[in-house]
Amino acid sequence: MAKHTGRGYSAIEYPTGMNQNGDPSQAWIKIKPDGRVDVFSGTADIGNGSKTIQSQIVAETLGVPYDWITYDNSNTDSSPVCTGTFASRATFVAGKAVEKAALSAKQKLLEIAAKELEIAPDDLEVVDGEVIAKGAPQRKIGVPDVAAAATWTHGELITGTGAHLNPYAAIVEPETGKVDSPPHAAISYAACAAEVEVDDETGEVRVVHLWQAFDVGRAINPTLVEGQIQGGALMGLGLGVLEECYPYYPSAEHRGGEFGSYLAPGIEDLPAIDTIIIENPSEAGPYGAKGISEMANNPQPPAIAAAVYDAVGVWVTELPVTPERVLRALEKKEQGPRRDGKWVVFDEDISVNTVAAEGSRFRFPVGA
Amino acid sequence: MKAVGARLPRYDGVAHVTGRTEFVDDVRVPNMLWAKALRSPHHHAGIRKMDTKKAAAIKGVHAVVTWEDVPRLVYGHLEALGIPGDEPLLARDEVRYKGQPIALVAAEDEETAQLATEAIEIDFDERPAVFDVRKAADPDAPQIHEWGNWYPHFEAEMDVRQIRKGSIDEAFDKADVIVSGVYRPAAIEQMPLETQIALVVPEPSGRLTIYSCTQALYFSMGVVAAHLEWPLNRLKFVGGTVGGGFGGKVDTAAETVTALAALKAGRPVKWRWTREEEFLCSSTRAPWHMEIADAVTKDGWILGRKMLTLHDSGAYARFSPYGVTKHSFHHTGAYTIPNLHFDGYAVFTNRVPTTAMRGFGVTSVSFATEMHVSRVADVLGVDPFELRLKNANRIGDTSPNGIAYTDPSTVPTIQAIADAVGHELPGDYRTMTRDPREGELLPEHLVAQVGKVDH
Repeated sequence: MAKHTGRGYSAIEYPTGMNQNGDPSQAWIKIKPDGRVDVFSGTADIGNGSKTIQSQIVAETLGVPYDWITYDNSNTDSSPVCTGTFASRATFVAGKAVEKAALSAKQKLLEIAAKELEIAPDDLEVVDGEVIAKGAPQRKIGVPDVAAAATWTHGELITGTGAHLNPYAAIVEPETGKVDSPPHAAISYAACAAEVEVDDETGEVRVVHLWQAFDVGRAINPTLVEGQIQGGALMGLGLGVLEECYPYYPSAEHRGGEFGSYLAPGIEDLPAIDTIIIENPSEAGPYGAKGISEMANNPQPPAIAAAVYDAVGVWVTELPVTPERVLRALEKKEQGPRRDGKWVVFDEDISVNTVAAEGSRFRFPVGA
Repeated sequence: MKAVGARLPRYDGVAHVTGRTEFVDDVRVPNMLWAKALRSPHHHAGIRKMDTKKAAAIKGVHAVVTWEDVPRLVYGHLEALGIPGDEPLLARDEVRYKGQPIALVAAEDEETAQLATEAIEIDFDERPAVFDVRKAADPDAPQIHEWGNWYPHFEAEMDVRQIRKGSIDEAFDKADVIVSGVYRPAAIEQMPLETQIALVVPEPSGRLTIYSCTQALYFSMGVVAAHLEWPLNRLKFVGGTVGGGFGGKVDTAAETVTALAALKAGRPVKWRWTREEEFLCSSTRAPWHMEIADAVTKDGWILGRKMLTLHDSGAYARFSPYGVTKHSFHHTGAYTIPNLHFDGYAVFTNRVPTTAMRGFGVTSVSFATEMHVSRVADVLGVDPFELRLKNANRIGDTSPNGIAYTDPSTVPTIQAIADAVGHELPGDYRTMTRDPREGELLPEHLVAQVGKVDH
């Protein structure tokens, strides 16, 4: 009886935006008489940090300090459509909408500045809150002065609107699944290594270390990206070794109805985590960004389960990898897969071929 | 200062950690009533008759809402994507899962509302239930859904989501080894700290102000408008700050029924689910059943993949058909596999409907396929990094749906992990890039997989 250490690996991908697309986001911006910026977007912040990310995109695009931005997503009277905060779309799709709104507000800002400086808008740029003549940086005017001039001299309101929509990708061949255009805004990638310690007496699996590399396209805010990846890791650990709504699935009985009877990961389960951010910019995302929020809990379960095999030589393919499942698998360890011709057949006891009755539609023929 | 790429603090971080962020349950308005739901005690039963008179007569009760109060009882949240509705907002003549809402009572306080739900007289006729997706298509399985035991409305009214590419028979013929396995990730609780909640205020203008925990303001407003048969300008959703949402807060679980109670009572109504309701009655991540057979060569090329997926949708369709489709689009994972035969079913059972949750449709398939790839590498005795790098998506390779990948990153992410854990890769794997295939990385079986990338 001993503790065994093992390592397992995974490599995954995940789409940004709704599957098959067709999910619009819209935003609008107004600039106050002192140059401060109000952003109206309908993106709910579910803890993913979209208020911060979208404010950063607006500040960068307009060329003004971040702390000039006020972000309002509080209600549907003020804010336009955002399909929602799901499908890893808030940075890419909704971020693209605020980027476009900022570009349109900037155009209007430059038109007012052009009147003040008597220089064509195309020859101006905005840097750190000032409108500057390209190639003649001594000729400039502060954004607050432009906003004041718009309000008090020219009788204008500086606004901008933006919307982003990746068109719906229709399935044109239902038999094959062929689509008529890319069914995603982008695809993100990640790889993971897990190190576990397995006690062959108690069956307990402890995740000791996770290494995770995510290609995020561009990290708009590296701190928030790391937060997503590390928070996702703990959620993936829960999927891998702890959590299940139905402890005797498929039975619907004996569900945990409170925190004390449901095993969610706690701080004591936290392994060492190494986070690696890779940036290969996406072609269409704002500043090259892709979404990674959801996939952050995807690579750990298969890496953990493979690490358990590396440690004690059993493949536990029903999640979570509980002590009971590990011990039951260890009891049957010598059995191994069935070899039939060139087939290597695992897990027959839980297959539809064993469980479903004769005549069922659900069949998966295996073996020579 | 550059804003993009900067490690700026969270916009709302200070408010969150000092407890000053206002969530729906922090909002109190004058004259507010509280709501409680009557829920099904059975997994599957008919409702012979229901009488709410005694409940409505209790002192302090201002409204009892049942299916009769809903202008449009059944509205599919993804009807715009061609997925028809099947779930009544409140149960009418049948309940299909334990915890399904049947009626909502609005009263002066939660205790009175709870008492009133218990005073509703209801006569159930218990029916057999199905819980195991593997047995849902058995010839003697009871039919538990009016559409049959699995979703029948994919494109062209197909009852299965299919992916077909190349020839799986040819791949099996040419394979040196075929490895099969079965993968079953569990249902998971969403477990947000903020339980499902809504506060609805009837305004003097005739509008409704709806304080909502939704992850999708306009989406949920569309759902409420559809059930009420109202135009959008009579609704105002207030929200945008969510106390934890991982997919389940797209369900619009509390808003519509609470709106009906507020309209019927003529007063503001708040309905907040208890922790127990959040655990037992709110939708979960789905359990999945997946079987995979990979046709492979001795040196680690994946020639083909055959796959069967049974998705446990629970009692109603909700977003499940969408999830199965998304799942099917990603069943080759981060690799390029030329011959595919995928069948996926959204299977109904008598458990709480499952819904979107972080990684919807793909968390399951990433687990199954990646664990399977680890197994294949072990069976073949091939290095798991090398097998993955060899088959990795590269620029120009085509997806299961025939779309060319423009910026895949399987190779750089795997190399980064090999480096991080000190796994020594042979020279050509260390210098490998994600650029289009050529030479030894473009064997005959992948030639037809290289598509044209439009930049």
